[in-house]
Amino acid sequence: MKPNRTVTPYLFLVPAMAVFGFAVLFPVIMTFAYSFTEWNGYGAMVFVGIDNYVKAAQDVLFRDSFVHVLIYIAITIVLEVIVGLVLAGLVSVRRRGSLWFRVAIFTPVMLPMVVVAVLWAFVYNNDFGLLNAALQTLGLEDLQRVWLGDTSTALIAVSVVSGWVYAGFYMTIFYAAFNQVPTEVIEAARLDGAGEWQLFRRIKVPMIRNAITVALLLCITGGFQGFDLFYVMTNGGPYGATEIPTTYLVKSVFSFQNVGYGSAMAVVLTVVVVGLGLIFTRVNREKPEEVRS
Amino acid sequence: MPVTRKKTLAAVAALSATALILTGCSADGGSSDDNVLRIAMGSPGEAQIRVWDDVAAQYEAANPDVTVEMNYQDDDLYQTIGLPNLLNGRNAPDIYFEWAGARLEQRAADGFAADLTEAVTSGPIAGLFDDEVFTSLTVDGAVVMVPHSADVTNVLWYNEDIFADAGLTPPTTWAELLDTCDALNAEGIIPISSGNKDLWAAGNWLAHLTSRVVGEDVYSSALAGETDFNTPEWIEAFGYVEELADHNCVNESVNAVDDNEGAQLFFQGKAAMHAIGSWLVSWAIDEAPDLNFDYVNLPAMPGEGNQESVIGVVTGYVVNAKSTKQDEAAEFLALLNSDENVQQFIGAELTPMTLSAASGEDIDSRTASLTSLLETAPAIVLPPDNGYDLETANALYAALAEVLGGQSSPADAVAGIDQKLG
Repeated sequence: MKPNRTVTPYLFLVPAMAVFGFAVLFPVIMTFAYSFTEWNGYGAMVFVGIDNYVKAAQDVLFRDSFVHVLIYIAITIVLEVIVGLVLAGLVSVRRRGSLWFRVAIFTPVMLPMVVVAVLWAFVYNNDFGLLNAALQTLGLEDLQRVWLGDTSTALIAVSVVSGWVYAGFYMTIFYAAFNQVPTEVIEAARLDGAGEWQLFRRIKVPMIRNAITVALLLCITGGFQGFDLFYVMTNGGPYGATEIPTTYLVKSVFSFQNVGYGSAMAVVLTVVVVGLGLIFTRVNREKPEEVRS
Repeated sequence: MPVTRKKTLAAVAALSATALILTGCSADGGSSDDNVLRIAMGSPGEAQIRVWDDVAAQYEAANPDVTVEMNYQDDDLYQTIGLPNLLNGRNAPDIYFEWAGARLEQRAADGFAADLTEAVTSGPIAGLFDDEVFTSLTVDGAVVMVPHSADVTNVLWYNEDIFADAGLTPPTTWAELLDTCDALNAEGIIPISSGNKDLWAAGNWLAHLTSRVVGEDVYSSALAGETDFNTPEWIEAFGYVEELADHNCVNESVNAVDDNEGAQLFFQGKAAMHAIGSWLVSWAIDEAPDLNFDYVNLPAMPGEGNQESVIGVVTGYVVNAKSTKQDEAAEFLALLNSDENVQQFIGAELTPMTLSAASGEDIDSRTASLTSLLETAPAIVLPPDNGYDLETANALYAALAEVLGGQSSPADAVAGIDQKLG
């Protein structure tokens, strides 16, 4: 029997669309719907219009949480993407023995984030921690801090852990991208007298621009999705200094059982992330034209 | 695929992930119609888990058609996400642990607490408890919880050896407490350890302190949302917390470490005192068997409240109103509180509230003393996070943490509570 060319392609799409509808569309629509209600998750649901959005706009903690996550993203761009790029440059210079370094630097990526968070919480512990003990041994007592209990250091301390984990991940992406740079280009540059630093800065990095763009996009969206490190290491503290939208949202929904308000925050967070993503991609798309002009 | 589209889809997926979590709460919860009796609680610790498992085995032996399924969760998880998720899940618990007060009232209002009046008056649980204990467990005229233990949620534990070596006696007044802090600091010992990262540990202790200053009525009405926090009495009460910070009474890391890390400072002898509840006894016996420790109630404060008040809460077990096995659940709770099993719990450092527990001979002297402290208390203060709305409790705890950490002045902190609560 000859397949019906009009219907058959859509039949093939049905399983995927069913999963997409169940796992993506339905929850999105329901979250949007809940955002207009006051609901504790199982009792009576009361329609409150846009009250939750008004509350979110006036909520200083929610606004601050965005500031915190932007600072976190800025730090992680340096510690993850830039450090990853430099590490990839270093391990790609000498191929012999580089495998060991790549594996060592990539290893933290394979650890569960909660394990990493617990491990580093011990490192930072003021009373029993490795960091303060090391500073004391080195005679640097003046630098000792309550790393996770001081508003000036807590956010940086968590960001450093994120950098420790993900620098290896970005290194791997950049290392693969560096390997795609044509050897003729490298050889030509060498013949022109370029050293390793010039090769890295003027040849390799510009030629993996797309990989860097993807890495930045991943870092930014990953920053907004960050949760586990913050939840385990500081739980948003001290004094809300590490509260980010996801931890605040989860507290609102699960600790205080404000499902409606939490849903409104989830919608706002999504709109912000989508908006930033669109701006970022638009800016990156326009750059080549600027260069040509 | 264009990157913009990819990004949009990624963002939609991110929202969906959040939404999936949220919609997870939306299912109509209900107990399974099978032969499994499900029981949920926060982890009560190894020793008590052994007793629970034994009671479950006893029940299964007496009822071969029924399987008892225990679900022990991390305490914080159970209190926040865990229990609501379980109650709304397909295999909701038939019996679950709960705290008396606002939480219990909410469970009853949401239709998750069965009426146990008949079971405790003429059914299998009748005669096991003093009738008076059901007063705080009654909602709209119906008994909705079977009590298990009465926890004093905060006293000041002290290391007897450190106090003896420093020639100190446990403080009974505010002035003595500050002097004790100064003396211990001079010895290079942390006066009071607390792990307040999650806000409740010091929050509970300091809430009790403020109740002594503002008075129980003002404390209760503010936490119930009937009056403001930003009043001279509350500012004065927070002023005493500021004094604690000024005298370096607590560990510098107080707001950076959790309750377990706070306790370790006490267990390892780095801190002379530790402000936490009655559950420290079994914990300390387990983790620091050589530690010589005892307790004093919160020192008397200059203020309006009853200076011998005790902060505490009754905890117990609720039968799910949606369970199809309510009779079996009541029988299980009766078995749990049988003389034999009560003695097992006493051996596991928990004193149940049954009449028979009073005759137990193996109760740790500190546990017995705490039980007596609660029973004879002239005023009982409910902990904010158990007795009242959790969002209000959290706002109070966060403000107390800010003052204790030297981050806010008392006036700013109390103003911040009202601002947060709108």
